[in-house]
Amino acid sequence: MIRKEAIEIAIKEIGNQPIISANGYISRDLYNVYDKHSNFYMIGSMGLASSIGLGVALKNSKKRIFVFDGDGNILMNLGSLTTISSQKPKNLVHIVFDNSSHESTGGQPTISKKIDIHSVAKALKYKTYKATTKNELENILYRIEKIKGPILILIKISKSKTISKRIDIDAIKIKQRFMESL
Amino acid sequence: MKKLNQERMFNFLANNGIKNFIGVPDSTLKHFIEQGLKKKKILIATREEEAIGIATGMLLSKSPSLIFLQNAGFANSLSTITSLVQLYQFPLIFLIGWRGYQKNDAPEHKKIGKIQPELIKSLGLKSRIIKDKNWKECCNWVIAESKNGHTCALIVPREFID
Repeated sequence: MIRKEAIEIAIKEIGNQPIISANGYISRDLYNVYDKHSNFYMIGSMGLASSIGLGVALKNSKKRIFVFDGDGNILMNLGSLTTISSQKPKNLVHIVFDNSSHESTGGQPTISKKIDIHSVAKALKYKTYKATTKNELENILYRIEKIKGPILILIKISKSKTISKRIDIDAIKIKQRFMESL
Repeated sequence: MKKLNQERMFNFLANNGIKNFIGVPDSTLKHFIEQGLKKKKILIATREEEAIGIATGMLLSKSPSLIFLQNAGFANSLSTITSLVQLYQFPLIFLIGWRGYQKNDAPEHKKIGKIQPELIKSLGLKSRIIKDKNWKECCNWVIAESKNGHTCALIVPREFID
């Protein structure tokens, strides 16, 4: 499964609920699969999607907030997992698309083949799930509907052969429409 | 700044619409942070960029937010400030403890403390130096700036050596 396929499956369950997506190809794929006002595309500040998601989740406790993260992104801000865990946001679903590489910068390796991000989150008392196939991912997304977070879903993906086009919405517009959607 | 004024400053900001105080502790701002902890209104992050991320999430939810940090941590966060806070125009308030303000401060603070005014200037960030005599005026200024959608900073010089 490539990231775009995983995003297509995730979107079927998530629908119009808010998503904060990490920079690089993750946001580009989400934009191309299903652009909507409640997508906050973080186009810079690598590593911080989960922190932004935590801030949104703490202030919107009645809404489920989704974070689309990458292995490179979360490894850059691993402390975020500890802060999220200590704050216990029941409404936060943290999805990590793990291709063991910095795909957006040319496919250089990350250490996620040696270090299991799923186990790290589990040790921090996240509710954790791991998907390697489309079927597993569909089942997990269905199962978590009534589970209280913080939830982490690690999706093992392979590198893509095509690149989604860049997001051509102004950053301020991305912010404004997201704010109006909440 | 004196203990009493730091405590007053926290109360004033909290009573005038600032809802969230997120950051990384700094000795120059010790009494401000302690007052916030007493009121259970402080969230301590693992590093400054993370604190900025959390605060922007809260600002997306229209909840006014302040970041407290040392100037060293401010320098760590330059790229986050340009590519997140300024790019999306988040009305975030920075409260920065300024180490290296005095020439005889500890050696690790000298260089970064010396270039602190240039960093703020290069970023084009609106800022005020806050001291005991002007704290209230400065607080009113940041409240007004953030209400008008501007990013702004208050810088507290460290005027003591321990």
